[in-house]
Amino acid sequence: MPAWVKGAATDIDAAIAAAADLLGAARVPIIAGLNAEVSAIQAAFALAGRVGASLDTDGAAGTYAELGALSRVGAMTSTPAEVVGRADAVLVVGANPWKSDLVGRLVGSRPTRGRAAGAERSLLALGAAQDRATVSVSAEGGCLPALALLRAHLRGHLSDDSPVADLTQRLASARYVAVLYDPAEIGEMGVETVQGLAVDLNDKTRGFALAVPGPGVNQDRAVVPVSAWTTGQAPRVGLGRRVPEHDPWRFDAARQIAAGEADAALWIASVPAPRPSWLGRVPSVALVGEADPDAAEVVIAVGVPGRDVGGVLWNEARGALAYRPPQPGASAPADLPTAASVLGRLANRLAARSETAC
Amino acid sequence: MSTLTLREAPPERLDFLSLSPLSLSRLSQGEAERLEVGTSRRGMRLGDCFSVSLDGSDTLTIEGGHERLDRVGASLSEGTIRVVGDVGQRLGAGMAAGTLTVTGHAGPYAASGATGGTITIEGDAGDFAGGAVYAAKAGLDGATLIIRGTAGDHCGDRMRRGLILAGRTGAHAGARMIAGTLAALEVGDLPGYGMRRGTLVVGRHGALSPTFVETGSHDLVFLRLLARQLNSLSEAHAALLAKPLRRYSGDLATLAKGEIWVAG
Repeated sequence: MPAWVKGAATDIDAAIAAAADLLGAARVPIIAGLNAEVSAIQAAFALAGRVGASLDTDGAAGTYAELGALSRVGAMTSTPAEVVGRADAVLVVGANPWKSDLVGRLVGSRPTRGRAAGAERSLLALGAAQDRATVSVSAEGGCLPALALLRAHLRGHLSDDSPVADLTQRLASARYVAVLYDPAEIGEMGVETVQGLAVDLNDKTRGFALAVPGPGVNQDRAVVPVSAWTTGQAPRVGLGRRVPEHDPWRFDAARQIAAGEADAALWIASVPAPRPSWLGRVPSVALVGEADPDAAEVVIAVGVPGRDVGGVLWNEARGALAYRPPQPGASAPADLPTAASVLGRLANRLAARSETAC
Repeated sequence: MSTLTLREAPPERLDFLSLSPLSLSRLSQGEAERLEVGTSRRGMRLGDCFSVSLDGSDTLTIEGGHERLDRVGASLSEGTIRVVGDVGQRLGAGMAAGTLTVTGHAGPYAASGATGGTITIEGDAGDFAGGAVYAAKAGLDGATLIIRGTAGDHCGDRMRRGLILAGRTGAHAGARMIAGTLAALEVGDLPGYGMRRGTLVVGRHGALSPTFVETGSHDLVFLRLLARQLNSLSEAHAALLAKPLRRYSGDLATLAKGEIWVAG
């Protein structure tokens, strides 16, 4: 079982002991990344309660753009399967959704169910010129003004013969409209405008918004429900005062490190993810699917869910949490522990020390 | 006048929600020093990093602020708090009445949800000054917020009532405003984005959203009344209203009952 302490290979017991020393001595430890299967995310919340840590995720910018708009204006949303099956007009906002698998499934296919079954499907691009789009409307000033302009036309507050007016006409005359966006790209105000657009579309036809992941794929969609059922809050919670406190600004891991507030970090990426730039700036422990001995002071290799070990992950295509069994014949060593088991052993070790027990 | 004097930089963020002249007036010196203000698992008490001097009056001075002091004056319902130095996030958040003054800079979310009283920041303010915290119904909600320096982005985001005066602000000032008044000598890009109602008075501005349309110049009694009110708080802001004003109506993407007055 590969594990390293200060770059030197060691066994997992010694690595867990070193990690417990590091986290047990900290005043303000943070647990970040959470790019992992559901059992590991649950174990991370339990460990955070044990050591009084705060939690943050890889995709927090997009997650909070989505949750912030949801908390204010609600959401009219759909699933990838519904969009593929029913949408005869798909509005793609910004550049990132074009890189998603979903757009690949939409191009060249037709809706097969519902009122628009058999109709031609048009892909409409807003904010990024696209060869694959039926119509592209560029946005020199960014996505926000373009979205506002589109919504103003749809509400009948503006009227002219601009490309946006043509786009509005196409949306209003479609039978089922889907609006695809990447929350991290357009931000909370953009998501709110998209959701407002969906509400306005439903005065005329059927319309739904659907967030699709940008280039940085993460497990935030799994973290949000685990955090909600564990703490009643969204992911950025701190347990320093032994009750879950939700504060998206205070528990931003990168900010905590930059401000010198956090003095130890545990980074979890059993689903391989790029290492954050701040990781080496405080004493750190890394639980990673793709191990790099120099990633942190203590590095423990864990099984990648859906490859080396089984685990429940967010399935983007289905829009649901789903179990992914280990792949037979995976190249990694078969005796890799799960991230959840390492986190459990770490919590038990810390619990054995009276000064860190809750 | 009661005084808290900072002895050393706090090793963790401190939460001053429970500290106000009213709450301290009921405590002995020892009880005040034992007040739990820390936020980490080790915790900190007020006496760990502040010297405490109490006289039961309705004025509290915090000598030596720090950017790790959160929610200073957040529970203020009467009296005065003066901070000589900087403060952290949520200065006066939810405050109901009284006077709160900071001589240095403030972190983000200053005056968020404040329903009454006057909050003055003599230095700069972070993002979302007078703006709403995550999942809150509204930002500033009736109080008066004065920022002499520069405010960050999203100043007055989702504010619902009250008045904000700022020297300069970053992008998205008055975005998603529900109602209220925001006056600034200069604002960044996309002021008033998604605003439903409310009034912005600005000197210079960055890029305006195309969903604001110019509706001409007007000489309204309301503007003279507003100028009189602003004059008691800041002559520079009142002077904006003495110039020729162009009115932009918006945001047409939403209710479109808001307005931006641009001083020529």
